[in-house]
Amino acid sequence: MENLILRLKEEIIEVLNLEDVKPADIDENAPLFGDGLGLDSIDALELIVLMEKNYGIKLKDPALGREIFKSVKVLSDYIAANRTK
Amino acid sequence: MNSIYINSIKHISAQKPLSDEWFDEPVQNSENYVRATDPDFKQYFAPNTARRLGKILKRALLVSQAAMKNDDVSQPDAIITGTGLGCIENTELFLDKMVREGEELLNPTQFMQSTHNTVSSLVAIEAKCHNYNMTYSHKGISFECALQDAFLQMQSGKIQNALVGAHDEMTPAYFTLLKKVGYLGQSNQTFAGESAVAMMLSNRKAKNTFCKIDAIEKVYNGFGLPVKPAMTYTGIDFVMVGTNGVAENDNIYFENCVRLFPNVPLLQYKHIFGESYTAPAFGVYAAALCLKNGKIPGFLFAEKGADCKLASAKILCYNQFEGKNHTFILLSNV
Repeated sequence: MENLILRLKEEIIEVLNLEDVKPADIDENAPLFGDGLGLDSIDALELIVLMEKNYGIKLKDPALGREIFKSVKVLSDYIAANRTK
Repeated sequence: MNSIYINSIKHISAQKPLSDEWFDEPVQNSENYVRATDPDFKQYFAPNTARRLGKILKRALLVSQAAMKNDDVSQPDAIITGTGLGCIENTELFLDKMVREGEELLNPTQFMQSTHNTVSSLVAIEAKCHNYNMTYSHKGISFECALQDAFLQMQSGKIQNALVGAHDEMTPAYFTLLKKVGYLGQSNQTFAGESAVAMMLSNRKAKNTFCKIDAIEKVYNGFGLPVKPAMTYTGIDFVMVGTNGVAENDNIYFENCVRLFPNVPLLQYKHIFGESYTAPAFGVYAAALCLKNGKIPGFLFAEKGADCKLASAKILCYNQFEGKNHTFILLSNV
């Protein structure tokens, strides 16, 4: 799980082009949106693409996004339970 | 008719960014492809603002904001952009992924930023400006179309000021393609460059005013006949032309200038700023700075000469694209 969290942080930094942010800077329990990393709706779309491309997870229910994008920890738990690749 | 002044010009190019230093000490470039010298964008943009912006957008935003600030304008009456290629870097990334990933799983950011009018709209969003917003993409005369739009609206009194931009980036892949078709990278040709130029036009003369725009004209000449401008340009002291070292291109300038403006000395700028679809904006910038400073540096003369002092002067900026589209912009000092 620790490996997945680290990998996820690295992928988020890369896909969202978070310049000057290192994996260690991201609190895995902090909110991804609003406070915390301060991501927005376009970033949510990027994360949906990331999940499908890298882990084979198709997120069809937008309401589910609110739950699983709460934090890196919640996201990694969801990916671990649902990934197909 | 209202008078129209250029009150502020900012650029990012092969020369020192956001600076007029090139006028005294131009950077010499010997490569055939030179990307613009970027400032440290981190000094100007918060990380969250900059992270989604490609190079052309960062450059355009910075020079636009600097040009507006220099003329004490926060929300211009019009934001008008000329761009030949638009956001080509993001377009390439988007199309590349489309091909590789089979038109699935495409990144939204690259899609949003792959349109030509992203530049003008981003400037407006950041300025919270809901006024007239337009983008012209007409290859080598994109900038002149944008400038003419602003000029006509100001002349008729519809608007009082306008931010006019000329923005193009050149990616390695696109340079390779244009080199193959003979548009760039030819032997003796001035380097392929990038452009980010923003200028504030106003009907109000300011202490920083560069010059006055007296006329703008576009002429289409698709039939190989001698170019015939509708306006008569008399009393011109210099003609700023877009010669680039390629005989086929340069001879069009030489032949038309000898016929239309006999004995008027020619100035050039592409050896300083490079060739790009919106390079003519640098011709206007160079001419405007000469008029403001009351001097023409020797290195701008087509036939190299010494520095020349100006008192009262008119400079005509003449650009042609592929021998078919010809544009004339008449500038005078104030």
